[in-house]
Amino acid sequence: MAISRRKFLATTGGVALAAGLPSLPALAQDRSIRHFWWGNPDRDRRTFDVIEVFEKNHEGISVSGETIGWGDYWTKMATQTAGRNMADLVQMDYRFLFEYVRRGALQELDPFIGNGLDLSNFDKGPLSGGMVDGKLYALNIGSNSQVFVYNTKVFEDAGITTDVINWTWDDFANVCKTITEKTGGKIKGSDDCSVVLETCECWIRQNGRTFFGEEGDVIATPEDIAGYWQFWLDLRNAGALREKDKSLDANLPMSDVGVVSGDTAISNFWSNQIVGVQALMQDTVGAAMVPHKPDGEPGQFIKPSMFMSLSRDSKDPEAAIMYMNDWINDPEETKILGLERGIPANPEVRKALAPDFTPAEKVSVDYFNAIQDKVGPLPPPEPKGAGEVRDAFIRAGTDVVLGNAEPQQAAELFIDDAQAIIDRAR
Amino acid sequence: MKRLSARNASGYMFLTPWLLGFFLLAIGPILVSLYLSFTRYDMVGDPRWVGFDNYVYMFTRDRRFWKALEVTFHYVIFAVPLRLIMALGVAMLLDKGLKTIGLYRAIFYLPSLLGASIAIAILWRQLFAIDGVVNQVLAVFGIEGIGWITNPSTSIYTLVVLAIWQFGAPMLIFLAGLRGIPRDLYEAADIDGTSAFRKFYAITLPMLAPVIFFNLVLQIIEAFKVFSPAFIISNGTGGPADSMLVYTVYLFNEAFKFFRMGYASGLAWVLLVIIGTFTAIAFATSKYWVHYENERD
Repeated sequence: MAISRRKFLATTGGVALAAGLPSLPALAQDRSIRHFWWGNPDRDRRTFDVIEVFEKNHEGISVSGETIGWGDYWTKMATQTAGRNMADLVQMDYRFLFEYVRRGALQELDPFIGNGLDLSNFDKGPLSGGMVDGKLYALNIGSNSQVFVYNTKVFEDAGITTDVINWTWDDFANVCKTITEKTGGKIKGSDDCSVVLETCECWIRQNGRTFFGEEGDVIATPEDIAGYWQFWLDLRNAGALREKDKSLDANLPMSDVGVVSGDTAISNFWSNQIVGVQALMQDTVGAAMVPHKPDGEPGQFIKPSMFMSLSRDSKDPEAAIMYMNDWINDPEETKILGLERGIPANPEVRKALAPDFTPAEKVSVDYFNAIQDKVGPLPPPEPKGAGEVRDAFIRAGTDVVLGNAEPQQAAELFIDDAQAIIDRAR
Repeated sequence: MKRLSARNASGYMFLTPWLLGFFLLAIGPILVSLYLSFTRYDMVGDPRWVGFDNYVYMFTRDRRFWKALEVTFHYVIFAVPLRLIMALGVAMLLDKGLKTIGLYRAIFYLPSLLGASIAIAILWRQLFAIDGVVNQVLAVFGIEGIGWITNPSTSIYTLVVLAIWQFGAPMLIFLAGLRGIPRDLYEAADIDGTSAFRKFYAITLPMLAPVIFFNLVLQIIEAFKVFSPAFIISNGTGGPADSMLVYTVYLFNEAFKFFRMGYASGLAWVLLVIIGTFTAIAFATSKYWVHYENERD
């Protein structure tokens, strides 16, 4: 196989970047753009492959990829935003989109539609998730939903036959207790979700409320939150949850999460992580819904898992839009990306992918289809300060898990704090 | 007088590069941060004047501010004395007049050279992890380890231990101080048959007082400013239940995570006042226990 100089440089560049080195100086090319995303080893590999394909198809444009874990991503992004050197293309999350749009850090995409950006094949639902005040600021590059990933082998060995799409919180608790009992405590039922705001949000929605109201105020009640914490506390007291020390970090690396490390049978994830989880596990994974409340409202919702946005600091928007367009339409690129970032919103792409699904990809697509009529609407956009509220939730939940505070008093304090954070951010 | 200023002119000329740097790179930003602390500024728009709002919020409503103070004081109270004791102990051992003193001095100083580095903090995180080296060693003795870093009641002590381990800088200063104590004092004490403890208490400590004082002030300032180990070990969050939220990590988060530059500037000034106060206290009390050689009592 002959290796051209370009290809050699592109691959070595990719390897160097993947190794976490600072990006290489752009080669002697006239145009260069930067793409920044939060990732994991699998995602990074795919993305660097896509960059290679793009550079092959567009002589004279070089793309430098920058990646970092979710936890550090937003710190780095914030610093780059302040320093006015954001990458041309940044990966965006629904939670932070509004904050960044309101701070003027992102460019509107509407002028490029039909003018470099071809969205004729795009599902309308996912598209609307990236709109703020009726304007498109972020292109959906995958949809997902909350999921409880479970270990099918452990379930089988413990003789669990519960319907995990329609199960209730009581069913879930019983499953956790059974597994803990059957394995003699070697494998606990589940990770503790006391510090996971996304799961708590489902609980609140099942009670018929959302966490934030239309105006951005906190409308969840202390009773909602306290009930949620109490549920986990009871399960912990029954010995069916993972030890405290490993239950306090909401941003654990994937390999340390209970179901992956073999400490538990069930862990909470986003559905686009199923493939990544399976890659780290011997046993086959299954996908369960967040448990329901009998007669409750639907708790889960399908949310845009990730967006790609064009930053205010882009020096070459034209090249950046080319990259964005190929990302969602180019057959070769979409094949490389697969379902790793979530379910693509382009039906053509989905059709093309279907024959080659791996078992794990099939699990996630089947799950996605199964939950379609069991999810509620997308909650209203989050106000500025939502990220900080999440931090406060983790702190309060930690106090409850450690037994430093009773659920009710911790919940009252947290709701108070959350509203104060929102008021202050205005 | 005239001649003097003419003579000084050339001095000032030579000082110019440094003075420029001082005014542009140090005094300027310091004054800007003082101004910013009275504003609301998110780095995107323009600063908005809010008077004393930041300070009022800090002292009346901000629970995390008090928590950060508590954690920082906790750290200072443990880390400073323990590090100084360790440094003095090792310095006295080395002062015994070893042949290979240079080698040992270098070895003991090594951790401090590495100390500020990110690598060491990451290493620390691994050491004290649930399945880390510390717990594996404990397991050999049949002791069930805990998650030192994930447990709020122990996490701050991982930082303290790290601080003690980096005793190199004060040790070198102590060593120099010990070398400066006249030997004849010890010889006289030996002739009188004084015990080792008494020699330490009656000769070493008083003679070393100025050096101890110097080290104490430096270490207090340094401990209040501790940042990178706490930041790295807690992943930038301040750890579980804010147990590692030292003041500077809180300040960093306010500034670079939530973009409250005005508020963060206010926090910085409060820290300056706190450090200033403690340094002043150290100086004020020093006249009761620090005596300099050249003083006439």
